[in-house]
Amino acid sequence: MIPFTVIGGFLGAGKTTLLNRLLRGATGRRFAVMVNDFGALDIDGRLVVEHGGDTIALANGCLCCTIGDSLVTTLLALLERPDRFDHIVVEASGVADPGRIADLAVLEPRLRRDGVVVMVDAGEVRQRAADRRVGDTIGRQLAAADLLVLNKIDLAEDLPGLRRLLAGHSAAPILEASHADVPLDLLLGLDRRGQAAPTETADAFTSWSYEWVEPVERETVMTMLRGPGRLRAKGIMRFADAPERRSVIHQVGRRLDVSDDGAWRDGETSRLVLLGVKPVLGSLQRE
Amino acid sequence: MTIVVYSARRILTMNPNRPSVTHVAVRDGRILGAGSLDELRGWGKVEVDDRFADKVILPGFVEGHSHAYEGGVWKFPYVGYFDRISPDGTRHKGLKSIDEVVARLQAFEKTLAPGASLLAWGFDPIYFGGRRMDLTDADKISTTRPVVVVHSNFHVANANSTVLAKAGITRSTNVHGIVKDAMGEPTGELQEMTAKYMAYRAAGVEVAAVLSDEQAVWRFARVAQLAGVTTATDLHNELPESTVDGYLRASASDDFPIRLLPAFAAGSVSPEQGIPRLQGLMKKNNDRLRFQLVKIVTDGSIQGLSARMRWPGYYDGTPNGVWNVGPDDIDRLLLAWHRAGFQVHVHTNGDEASEVAIEAVERALMTAPRWDHRHTLQHAQMADAGQFRRMKALGMCVNLFANHLFYWGDIHYARTLGPERAERMDACATALTTGVPFAIHCDAPVTPIGPLFTAWCAVNRLTASGRTLGETEKIPVADALRAITLGAAYTLKLDEELGSIDVGKRADFAVLDDDPLAVPPGKLKDVGVWGTVLGGKVFEAPK
Repeated sequence: MIPFTVIGGFLGAGKTTLLNRLLRGATGRRFAVMVNDFGALDIDGRLVVEHGGDTIALANGCLCCTIGDSLVTTLLALLERPDRFDHIVVEASGVADPGRIADLAVLEPRLRRDGVVVMVDAGEVRQRAADRRVGDTIGRQLAAADLLVLNKIDLAEDLPGLRRLLAGHSAAPILEASHADVPLDLLLGLDRRGQAAPTETADAFTSWSYEWVEPVERETVMTMLRGPGRLRAKGIMRFADAPERRSVIHQVGRRLDVSDDGAWRDGETSRLVLLGVKPVLGSLQRE
Repeated sequence: MTIVVYSARRILTMNPNRPSVTHVAVRDGRILGAGSLDELRGWGKVEVDDRFADKVILPGFVEGHSHAYEGGVWKFPYVGYFDRISPDGTRHKGLKSIDEVVARLQAFEKTLAPGASLLAWGFDPIYFGGRRMDLTDADKISTTRPVVVVHSNFHVANANSTVLAKAGITRSTNVHGIVKDAMGEPTGELQEMTAKYMAYRAAGVEVAAVLSDEQAVWRFARVAQLAGVTTATDLHNELPESTVDGYLRASASDDFPIRLLPAFAAGSVSPEQGIPRLQGLMKKNNDRLRFQLVKIVTDGSIQGLSARMRWPGYYDGTPNGVWNVGPDDIDRLLLAWHRAGFQVHVHTNGDEASEVAIEAVERALMTAPRWDHRHTLQHAQMADAGQFRRMKALGMCVNLFANHLFYWGDIHYARTLGPERAERMDACATALTTGVPFAIHCDAPVTPIGPLFTAWCAVNRLTASGRTLGETEKIPVADALRAITLGAAYTLKLDEELGSIDVGKRADFAVLDDDPLAVPPGKLKDVGVWGTVLGGKVFEAPK
């Protein structure tokens, strides 16, 4: 199953900046990125392998395609392509509800719903949220977020007030950034094996790996996942209440999925990788 | 060149200088004159053709808001509540219960190849006293092949268990748009993006091409022709190469019975890409195909609970609808296309959407003054008198969705808008008194293409249950007929070329069995359409 991430947020929040960073970043993963407008992307012409009108193939294995008039048919056409991608990222339109788009991954057996990342323009969001014509749209976007990126904090006048505003709409953790400079591993997850610690981790964030040989109490793990500062987690667990099963943990911001992945395999150990804000995980380490 | 003079019981010209005549002369596909036979003989040797001697001729009807998709869906079985005429002229009886729908599709299912999906369209459960289709019904059609029954609004569908199982949809699937019963089990009813996704998953994404290929364009043209239409829009299309090829091939034939005007979907690409693209396509225009229109879709639909409404919003308290293109982008797109000289059609159902569009036009005009832009609001169903005055002041046109009054008027009265706003929706009389140039439309395939029915709606304002919705917004028959001919042509900037029977204009006629000005206004929808004439070529509708 291919992880499926939706990047939402109102016009000007920094979605395109983030996508440009993603396409430039040498993450070693093949992304398929569905965007509203090629023109806004800043793609180095030397990296373009093929330009097919509605698609651009890049030398690093990534593919960009324009959504055009129908997200549904564009996505289905992408899934029919022979290319295999490690991750599909959709740029929601500035007025779309990104949660609804993420629902498509729940309906599509070839996809795994990863996360809804909603970008917020720190300089504009207060005014936009109060606008009678778009305020409810902003509210729906914030409510749909698994992770919020409060972008352009250099333009924010009252950061604590903004944090309260966002918290009033959403229980999602907030990453603060300028120029959409956020560690991509936080937004888009670890590599497909989910084992290795991320290679690129900004100063404010860190990761921590756990390994258990014996079955683990479910509540112990849940407590670790629910605490503040946790932004992302991935794990394969042998829980004490289901020792014969592989339980897969997948967490993006406020959204936590635990799913069954068949019988426990002999010789495996339970493994969990957490990504989060450094001071919080620092204290975890001491535990 | 041969001059053919058609005699008729009456010819209603829409030309105020000679509103009613008995003869029309045609040469080179154009109208040489309209008057008495003696007058027309003055042009030289004429052939008198009396085949319409007992018919009534009007300018060919102009459908200002329809979709060629109407031709696409006829590839699949129709299961709607109301009778509907298919492109071959067959009347498909409306199905009056869910059991009738199931029985019809059970019979159809036997004709399908093994493994093929079953897709049907036009289903409308709002007339079944609250009963909805569920899995028990859909599974009676088949449990071995995917079944998707698309509702008449094209935003909701019912699927069978096969479809749900393939997608792994169960009671624990927590996705917007999966309807569940009181016990929490999915009923098979799917809404909005979920419905669309599952329909395409079941039918294969290649269905998108089938819905707009050359054959679909032909079927659309034929179904339009049967209703007396000689000019029709395909009012919102991304215009992929395959679709353009289909248009070009179809319209190259002398037998193609309509003039087709596609509107480019402005929201699908940036104007920097879209403008040169449409300018390029305009070089391919021919007599029966005209690229020139652009459309922006702002909000959703009132009955789909997705219209953007001003305060106080939905009558039943439903939260405000959603933007397809938000206010900032409406401004940006409209200004770019306006500057490039195009006429922009803007879909607005709710009154907040209309307000945003009107203000976008106002700002565009301040930035880049332009005369006779004729930017047109499409639907503008909730527009009030103040908005009409603003449209008038800004030089805008409007195309009102009069058919809505019949098909959804009862729901608007009871649930979505409430009595007051339902009675003034699709305000044709306000358009008339305010002086906003207006047309009325069907939005096929959402409702069947049929300008006489649309005119009947604007004249009588009756809902399906028989309620009169807004006595004071009724318009006279003559004005309604103008709205489906010259009025609609004006909103497409074609009024100098067609829309009335006048010297020099194209010889496009609707040939009717009766005189729409003589029948009682309540019978306007029952006036038979004998056929059409397009550029002097006669197209008889199959009987």
